[in-house]
Amino acid sequence: MSEILQYIPGNSPLHTINPVTKLLLVILIVGLCVMSSQIPFLCFLIGVLIFGALFSGLIREIISQIPFLLLLSFFLVVLTSLTVQEGALLLPILPSTDPSIQGFGITMGGLMFGIILSLRFIVMITAFQLFVITTKPSDLVTGLLAFRLPVDYVLMLLIALRFIPSLQLEARRIHEAQLCRGYNPGTGISGKIRSMKPIMIPLVANSLAKTQVLGLTLDMRGYRARKKLPFHKLVFGPGDMISAILILIILGAFLYLHFFMA
Amino acid sequence: MIRATSLSYTYPVGTRPALRDITLSIGAGELVLITGPTAAGKTTLCYALAGILQHEFGGTFSGYLALRGRPVTEYAGVGELNRYVSMVFDDADSQLIFTSVEEELASGLETRIDSKQEIEKRIFDVMELCGITHLRERPPYALSGGQKQRVAIAAALAMDTDIIILDEPTSELDVAATSRIIEILKSLKEQGKTIIIVDHSLEGYRNVADRVIVMEEGHISREGTFDELFPEQQGSMKALYTDPDLTPYTPTDRPAIVRIDSLMKRYGTIEALNGISVTLYEGEFVAILGENGSGKTTLVKHLNGLLRPDGGLVHVRTLDATTAPVIDLVQQTGLVFQNPDTMLFADSVREEILFGLENIGASSPDQVIEEVLSMVGLSGLESTYPRHLSRGERQRLAVACILAMKPEIIILDEPTTGLDELESDRMMELMLTLQKKGHTIIMVTHNMRIAEEYAGRIIAMENGRIIGDYHNLKGRAS
Repeated sequence: MSEILQYIPGNSPLHTINPVTKLLLVILIVGLCVMSSQIPFLCFLIGVLIFGALFSGLIREIISQIPFLLLLSFFLVVLTSLTVQEGALLLPILPSTDPSIQGFGITMGGLMFGIILSLRFIVMITAFQLFVITTKPSDLVTGLLAFRLPVDYVLMLLIALRFIPSLQLEARRIHEAQLCRGYNPGTGISGKIRSMKPIMIPLVANSLAKTQVLGLTLDMRGYRARKKLPFHKLVFGPGDMISAILILIILGAFLYLHFFMA
Repeated sequence: MIRATSLSYTYPVGTRPALRDITLSIGAGELVLITGPTAAGKTTLCYALAGILQHEFGGTFSGYLALRGRPVTEYAGVGELNRYVSMVFDDADSQLIFTSVEEELASGLETRIDSKQEIEKRIFDVMELCGITHLRERPPYALSGGQKQRVAIAAALAMDTDIIILDEPTSELDVAATSRIIEILKSLKEQGKTIIIVDHSLEGYRNVADRVIVMEEGHISREGTFDELFPEQQGSMKALYTDPDLTPYTPTDRPAIVRIDSLMKRYGTIEALNGISVTLYEGEFVAILGENGSGKTTLVKHLNGLLRPDGGLVHVRTLDATTAPVIDLVQQTGLVFQNPDTMLFADSVREEILFGLENIGASSPDQVIEEVLSMVGLSGLESTYPRHLSRGERQRLAVACILAMKPEIIILDEPTTGLDELESDRMMELMLTLQKKGHTIIMVTHNMRIAEEYAGRIIAMENGRIIGDYHNLKGRAS
């Protein structure tokens, strides 16, 4: 079974970077990709991420996401092409009767916007994925605490990450149990949505049933009035120096492409 | 250590008291086993002794309860009580909060111990004691049921409290995993800990438990030493397939219903099934026995297409189960899963059964629903919300849902997990009735007692292979 968003143990360069540094990098990359609408810069960010994955031997994890990313990109491009009417008309769908206004169809502006949006999502998803699979959840927590996030929220995130594989497993079990009753996953979008009920209801109900024990366990371990979480001190190493340089390079590229070239 | 006098308790939403007039006294270093049928108040008593009821749940109390000579109500909540009492709940998975075994154990320690070396030493000692040192870095999802349970126990032990309460820690474990946990309890007792444990399977505690308390309907019905209460052996702790009473299986002259030949199944690099060949005949009541992870469930999932083999043949009647669509196979082979809650989703018992019937397009569903409900003893509950039923009733409803689709073969995966003896026997009686009506029953279990008492044929599995196939002449189905 492939676990979604789970830490993969290892000793790669990405693993050894301090979580705080890594978190800064992710925030920077995600922040800049939202601000930038230049395709070369977005491609540069994707290049940086691919390089990071190659360098750490995690390229297979990124490749496994490609079908999903392509599908997402396809939908985004279709959506924006049909909704954003800007720039030259590339493919008219409804020709205009009035020569002074352009007809309805796929426009240059819509297409470009779709591509930019897709690239942004690819950057964000890949960056987040690389971050989560190379960061031990406890280090992730330490990183978040270093940003002064309240313990309660950090604990919430930690528990959410912890239970993703359990939920996956439970969903599979429920799916099999319903198949035994002749369950038909349904066809078409409305069929798919309607057929969610036999899976989602047991999944949610069973998860809710677990919360009581979870809460009591936290209490019994003395988390009620806890200000600290039991995690390690952070150490900065050579990987963090390299990351600092990388941060400067990315910022430099952003500034150059957006201000000096423009 | 613990003293309760005329303790009674009613849950905030309850109408009847969950605990009635409990008087007991548990001394330091005692190991007390609590047993009794489902809904007898065992878990509630555990919660009471841990102070959870008084400080977390609310509800109505009467009587007196003191821990270490001090009334429970005087403690400043669970936050203070957790220095003296730790508790292991029955659901191991939801007690593992952190993402590695080591962090799980460290989680309770930081407020108790200042020195880092001491924390590490404590974690190391507890891992050694529970035999989980090799699992140190594992995330919870990569642990087996028995391992999870040992980690949950270790997390409680790491806190080094005087009193340890365990609520059914062995309910989903096989014989080997259970005896490992009892070994851990023994060494804790030697360290002078006070241990209170709830369990259904009893024999393992002979010569371990100092005292046994039997609960019924919220009060203590019997109390004494193990030998006083249970002079005879309670079920078997040894592997049944080493029993000399079993005779090797010889095929009957009835027509074959399931034919499996050289079945192979791999999960990654693990050989889950390694060349299984077996034929099952019409009207048999077969128990497939084996430890956790021996491949029992994997095997039966091949009979209705939930799993497809990596090699070998599977035939169910005339259908080729390696290729036939699941929707056709499930009408021949009904599989009831271990936990009924994985399938119950509808708003009423009637709708729950109707779901399967509509999926296969059955005619006159109302008549079928009435029929199967009376068969499983749930008549009159058509409009009840399924999740409001008791665990035993939910299990029987799950059987009814499958039964309604009229499969010839009925497969039960661990049908007695979470059921007490009364409910387990009731489930087995139902299977005997169905067998008499001509159904073929296949039951996957690690419960030796029910296999021995009911099944006509016992197949033993180990590491993905069949290691024995016997007639069980003592079984009521033979």
